[in-house]
Amino acid sequence: MSLIADEIIRFSSVLKIAYNFLTGRTYLKRKKFREKQKLVAVALPFSDLPFAAGTIPVFPIRMHIFEINKYLSYLGSASSIFGWESVSRFLGFVKNLGIQEISKIIDDIIEDVIVTINKKYNEMYDIGIESGLSSDFCYGLKGLTGMHVTKGHNVDACFNATIRCSAYNKYLESLKAINSKPKQIWVDIPPRNIGNSLGLLTDSLSNALKDLENLTGKTVTDNQVRDFFKIGNQIKRSYKTIIYEISASDFYPCNPATFSEILSLLNITYQDYNSNATRYRDNMSSLVKEMKERIRKGIGMDVAKMPRILVTPIFGGWEPKSHEIIYELGGRALYADWEILKLLEEIDTSNHLNPLEEYARFLLNATETGIGCDNDTLTNSYLRMAKDLNADGLVFFQLFGCHSISNCYSMLREKIRHDLEIPTTSITFNKIGENVEQVKTRLGAFMEMF
Amino acid sequence: MNDLGLLSDFSLFLKEKKEQGIKIIAFLAHDNIPEELLDAAGFFPLRLIFGGNDDLMNASHDYLPPSTCAFAQTCIGLFSIKPSQFQFLDLIDYFIISNHCVSDICASEIISKYNNIPRLNFYVPYINSKNSSHYYKLELSELKHKLEEIISKEIDDGSILNSIKKYNTFKKKILEVNSLEILGSLKLKIIQKAILFGPDFLSELENSLEQLRINPPKKDNNSKDVLMTGCSIFINDYLIDLIEEGGANIVFFDTWIGNHYYSQIIDDALINSIKDPLDIFIHKFRENKNSDHSVPNFLENKLTLIENFYRKYKQKTGKELGIINHVIKFCDHISLMSSYLKERLQKKGIKVLNLERDYSRANRGQLSTRIEAFLEMM
Repeated sequence: MSLIADEIIRFSSVLKIAYNFLTGRTYLKRKKFREKQKLVAVALPFSDLPFAAGTIPVFPIRMHIFEINKYLSYLGSASSIFGWESVSRFLGFVKNLGIQEISKIIDDIIEDVIVTINKKYNEMYDIGIESGLSSDFCYGLKGLTGMHVTKGHNVDACFNATIRCSAYNKYLESLKAINSKPKQIWVDIPPRNIGNSLGLLTDSLSNALKDLENLTGKTVTDNQVRDFFKIGNQIKRSYKTIIYEISASDFYPCNPATFSEILSLLNITYQDYNSNATRYRDNMSSLVKEMKERIRKGIGMDVAKMPRILVTPIFGGWEPKSHEIIYELGGRALYADWEILKLLEEIDTSNHLNPLEEYARFLLNATETGIGCDNDTLTNSYLRMAKDLNADGLVFFQLFGCHSISNCYSMLREKIRHDLEIPTTSITFNKIGENVEQVKTRLGAFMEMF
Repeated sequence: MNDLGLLSDFSLFLKEKKEQGIKIIAFLAHDNIPEELLDAAGFFPLRLIFGGNDDLMNASHDYLPPSTCAFAQTCIGLFSIKPSQFQFLDLIDYFIISNHCVSDICASEIISKYNNIPRLNFYVPYINSKNSSHYYKLELSELKHKLEEIISKEIDDGSILNSIKKYNTFKKKILEVNSLEILGSLKLKIIQKAILFGPDFLSELENSLEQLRINPPKKDNNSKDVLMTGCSIFINDYLIDLIEEGGANIVFFDTWIGNHYYSQIIDDALINSIKDPLDIFIHKFRENKNSDHSVPNFLENKLTLIENFYRKYKQKTGKELGIINHVIKFCDHISLMSSYLKERLQKKGIKVLNLERDYSRANRGQLSTRIEAFLEMM
């Protein structure tokens, strides 16, 4: 892990994103109690409308107390005085001095961030099962259920958008059985873009926006919605730059394991932008700048000879050690779930357009051409991404109990063999840390093909 | 429950249909497929309502992981292995890909793709709301249009109305079966056959009803009565035998094969008052509140239905009524809600057994024990 820690501290933006994720509880408490803002639970990247309505979207795990390394806590306090960049520079300086004890502390900080997040995810998984959810469901749903069982009572509303996964939709229904207090705000995304389904979805979004307005007691103008979408678009732009320009390039601003670590952190935090879109946008923009600056200065690693391995899907749960293992085996793991599912497309914010209709268009496009209402479309999305990233191989995480995404693997394998002719493998996953040795063996055999 | 006779009859029946030039559209059974529209277009709607076994489930593992709903696995297995009594599956002309649940989509897509059966898409919204109803109509229009393309002629309103009326009459007759005081397995057998054969079975159904009224078969009055909810008991499934061997009798099937089907009777006055027959389907969709497909009020609606039935039954018979919630392994809809359903009903003093299982024979002993233990508790 020290390798990853060494690198991550050079990116102040990464430290900020990690810190904001872990200290979400304090931030959210301030928003809820001091500033009397409304918290809205979200999952998957569907936070745009709650943000636009002036509520505080929250991926519920962030309401938990995370065991933050005390030094990260100090760093957080120091950053409020000196700024994150100074803190990052200082850490880099200390690391370069090679003082063993201090160096170890820094390694511990970063390792703690990753371990803490994973530990909490597993804790939520266990609580999900204890609360009565069948162990037959996927890691993601068990975790989400655990999050709502423990912290769902703190939110004022849940923003529920239906997707192709029937288990997910039923989980959304179960939220009111878990906690009866939060208002349940629903948006039914039509499975296909036929007839006037765009108009119907626009109307549904408008109703959802009204529900959110009732929650805050404030009316939202089209311009306010548009302004938020502009922020969202900037985030997406930065995210895409990282995926397409940097991850597909031959020179990385850090070692590939660190790079994957950053991508996985983005994958988690993108769901609610750490509850503050402007701050997240600024961090994303800094991250791109920092990465580009390092590449420009030649700081980082030549990865031209390392095969690009697209590892997907990870959003419902995957073994986070994978990228480290792939790196140790000579490859680089690329994570791009949200782009695969077309959830990084920009929303047209032109003044003459109805922003809700444009958001509806974005959702319909993601549903019809990204996530897909069937496996034919979904597998095409994976294929497209593998082509666009010029991937040399694809590792598919088959989640135990996932009936939506994991079920497409046999079709995907066939298409990859036929259309791309690159190696592919699937790894079954149930819980973080449960089968690391098996993952190592599978990846070991897979990486021998390169 | 061995239904070789039924399958053999059905095989002949389908062959006759084909000889008459009637094309067959199959789908994984669920309650939002407009079978009346298929009928109006001159097709025979074939619901795949067959239970599985180890071989059928295993045969699906080339396509889907074993952690897939056992019913979806079975449907794929039926097409992969095509056991002799299921050769009639070769007669299918089109397959509807729908989203009752995501396993429905995946299994249907695989069946269509690997058996070269042309697909017809029909996606149903998850939420039961005004906008969703509008969307449902879009899907209906799309499907109607596709069917018209196949038959190269327009499906006129009169034909659709006639089909709706035909199915209405048929469902009313099945509803009468439900009210008979006969053994649950007999009731189920009739309902299964009716749903499989469709309205062509009407005259036989009427005869059966008459016979059963004149000469009702003896029923063990000491058996413990149960309501079956959750997943259906499909054709060839041994579950009902286990339940009856354990000393219970199912008095009400709150499942696809049962109440979900025959409760979708449309009021005659409504049929006559609506101008566009597609709006009748919309009405049916809106009223289909017990469908496990829909969110967000499935649980509440289900609880209300069970509670009302329970109270009325107890009042009428003075007997205790247990609830068996049948959960086919890895069924998203029923499984996810099962703990909440049980908890809520138990709070009201209603005894519930969440009976989760797949189709493997190895489960029989364990299932029997669980059923017997539940009945003893009752």
